[in-house]
Amino acid sequence: MLLRATLLSFCLATPALADFEQTLSDHILPGYATFAASTQALADAAAKDCKADDLKPAFNAAYDAWLGVQHLRFGPAEADGLSVAIGFWPDPKGSGAKAQRALLLGDPAQLSPEHFPDQSVAARGLTGLERLLYPAEPLPADPCALIQATTLDLARMAKIINDNWVNTYSKTMLTAGDLGNTTFQTRPEVRQTLFTQVVAALEFDKDTRLARPLGTFDQPRPERAEAVASGRSQRNVLLSLQALRAMVVTLTPDAPLTLAGFDRAIKLAESLDDPSFVGVATPQGHLKVEILQQAISAVTDTVVSELGPELDVGVGFNAADGD
Amino acid sequence: MRPLFLGLLATSALTAVVSPALAADPAAVTKTYADIAAAGYEDSLTTAKTLQAAVDALIAAPSEDSLKAARAAWIASRPAYMQTEAFRFGNAAVDDWEGKVNAWPLDEGLIDYVDASYGKSEENDLATLNVIANPKFKISGVEVDATKITPELISGTLQEAGGIEANVASGYHAVEFLLWGQDLNGTGPGAGNRPFTDYVQGDGCTGGHCDRRADYLKAATDLLVTDLEDMAGQWANGGAARATVEADPKAALSAVLTGMGSLSYGEVAGQRMRLGLMLNDPEEEHDCFSDNTAASHFYDGVGIQNVYLGTYTRVDGSVVSGPSISELVAAADPAVDTQLKAELAATVTALGAIKSASDGGMAYDQMLAAGNKEGEALVMGGVNALVTQTASIERAITTLGLTGTSIEGSESLDNPDAVFQ
Repeated sequence: MLLRATLLSFCLATPALADFEQTLSDHILPGYATFAASTQALADAAAKDCKADDLKPAFNAAYDAWLGVQHLRFGPAEADGLSVAIGFWPDPKGSGAKAQRALLLGDPAQLSPEHFPDQSVAARGLTGLERLLYPAEPLPADPCALIQATTLDLARMAKIINDNWVNTYSKTMLTAGDLGNTTFQTRPEVRQTLFTQVVAALEFDKDTRLARPLGTFDQPRPERAEAVASGRSQRNVLLSLQALRAMVVTLTPDAPLTLAGFDRAIKLAESLDDPSFVGVATPQGHLKVEILQQAISAVTDTVVSELGPELDVGVGFNAADGD
Repeated sequence: MRPLFLGLLATSALTAVVSPALAADPAAVTKTYADIAAAGYEDSLTTAKTLQAAVDALIAAPSEDSLKAARAAWIASRPAYMQTEAFRFGNAAVDDWEGKVNAWPLDEGLIDYVDASYGKSEENDLATLNVIANPKFKISGVEVDATKITPELISGTLQEAGGIEANVASGYHAVEFLLWGQDLNGTGPGAGNRPFTDYVQGDGCTGGHCDRRADYLKAATDLLVTDLEDMAGQWANGGAARATVEADPKAALSAVLTGMGSLSYGEVAGQRMRLGLMLNDPEEEHDCFSDNTAASHFYDGVGIQNVYLGTYTRVDGSVVSGPSISELVAAADPAVDTQLKAELAATVTALGAIKSASDGGMAYDQMLAAGNKEGEALVMGGVNALVTQTASIERAITTLGLTGTSIEGSESLDNPDAVFQ
């Protein structure tokens, strides 16, 4: 009820022109509410029955919900590294599988709600759960307890982020520029933060979700795609693009080239018909994914050249600045 | 991943910066910046040459003492270099070159023997290549003759072999591995413990192929010196990197702040600190063989502060200083400058606390252990301080009205139709 009441007050406060108030009420808050509800549903389902096949629909629903907010890597999702723990990928050293093997064979006390959150992020979250529900090779022990611990932990993290947004961070954002707001000293700082999320997420789609499996033409690396086991590689890119487009719409009504660019990329992502990017191993399939990558590159440029000036901000620092 | 960095297309124009009579002149600020870079890379070079001499002595007469001396020289070479990392992001000349000297993390099994616990990498079929033990091998199907281990073999063939970043064959961390060996203590006490006998020629050689190991260490150290010579030259009077920033002082101001922010946030706070903590992985520490990580992070923090304040204390104790970007920000908005200066100092203090704890016996990898709350608090103290200062660095960019540069290699921006053909 609290959420509904809060949403209502935001709606009343929303000006006619789209701005970050609308991003908050129409994109961020509903996105996290959906993610919290779907991870709770997943945990409830796992508590009743932890058979992998039975859990797959709830797992995919939670993963879909995560793609709706995954690009928001600031504030409550960044605190305590929660977004990293929810979707730890890529994992080039295979740390997750190793850590999960140790958990499966180790002291069950590590799986308790008290201790599980202290485990390596590589062993937790949606990617951890995916390895248990879609194992590439037989697991060394019955995964039921670990599946339950992982889903509970996911629901816990989703609730923390959602509660924090509803109870605290919404206000932080809405009072941008007020005396005493040290997070957002001006309203443009909010716009810049949101704008930076769009650019960084597009870069992630292009440079990580697509570039990793693409490898080179001579040496494609389909096994390096995201969520190969659950066959979600293509879907994740598509949902990411759709979420980013939806967010842009809330930020401004006036970014036609940006939206057109998104539409082109989304259409390409929809029509790919290569769920886990195995197609990159063929010349034709490689080319198709490359064309999608170029479309994302193009929309990134348009975001910077059109949406940035429209919001009167530039790209801020983001997590991808490093190596 | 290349940093994508633009300043704010925001409110105030650069004219706001240069108009106050007392404000420093952007060209003078740029000169200070380039002078600090020149001094920093020169200090990196001289300390690397000292390391080179110590490595030569180790190879000529392997002993506990000569290995210890070489390790000490490596440790002593780090502070100057780490302070130059503030120049990396924002200067293409540095960022394009950096991977040769400080790439990390590495699949060290490419270079030499590793413990059985090292395992196999699913993503890197060269992770256990062991060049030292194998004079001939194939990379991506091509036969490689590594009979002679030379700087050219390391830089031209082995570095990033197969297009895989974890194949780090050169730079500080390759040399570090050859001096210390793997740190097999996990999150427990102790660094790598390679015996000096790994360099003994003939009888008494341990680890096998001591001649080739010595050749590799020599070649990698010589290559490090050559690469640092290159960068020191780039910032000396008449050097290309200096010319680039001096040609456009406004872009240079953007480079200063971009370098500070990208290093603070994505690189050190994110990749190098918080990720390792969240993985509880002792190999996710920057100087993982020597356990020198705490010092490396500390000098990154100092380097960021240096470029903002326009002052650098050299290895010999002398000081390079001049008009600073801090003065420009202060002239435009004193509150932003005051806050940023305080936050930069707080970061140095927080990273200093990590270094003190490490010097006192809790090495950085021990801080990463699951359940080490004290270690976690120390590391997160550094992370939080770096994240906090990043927001103020963004404010400084806004305050100076620095519009951005363009995205590198942005072909589609110039020719939007090309990509759809």
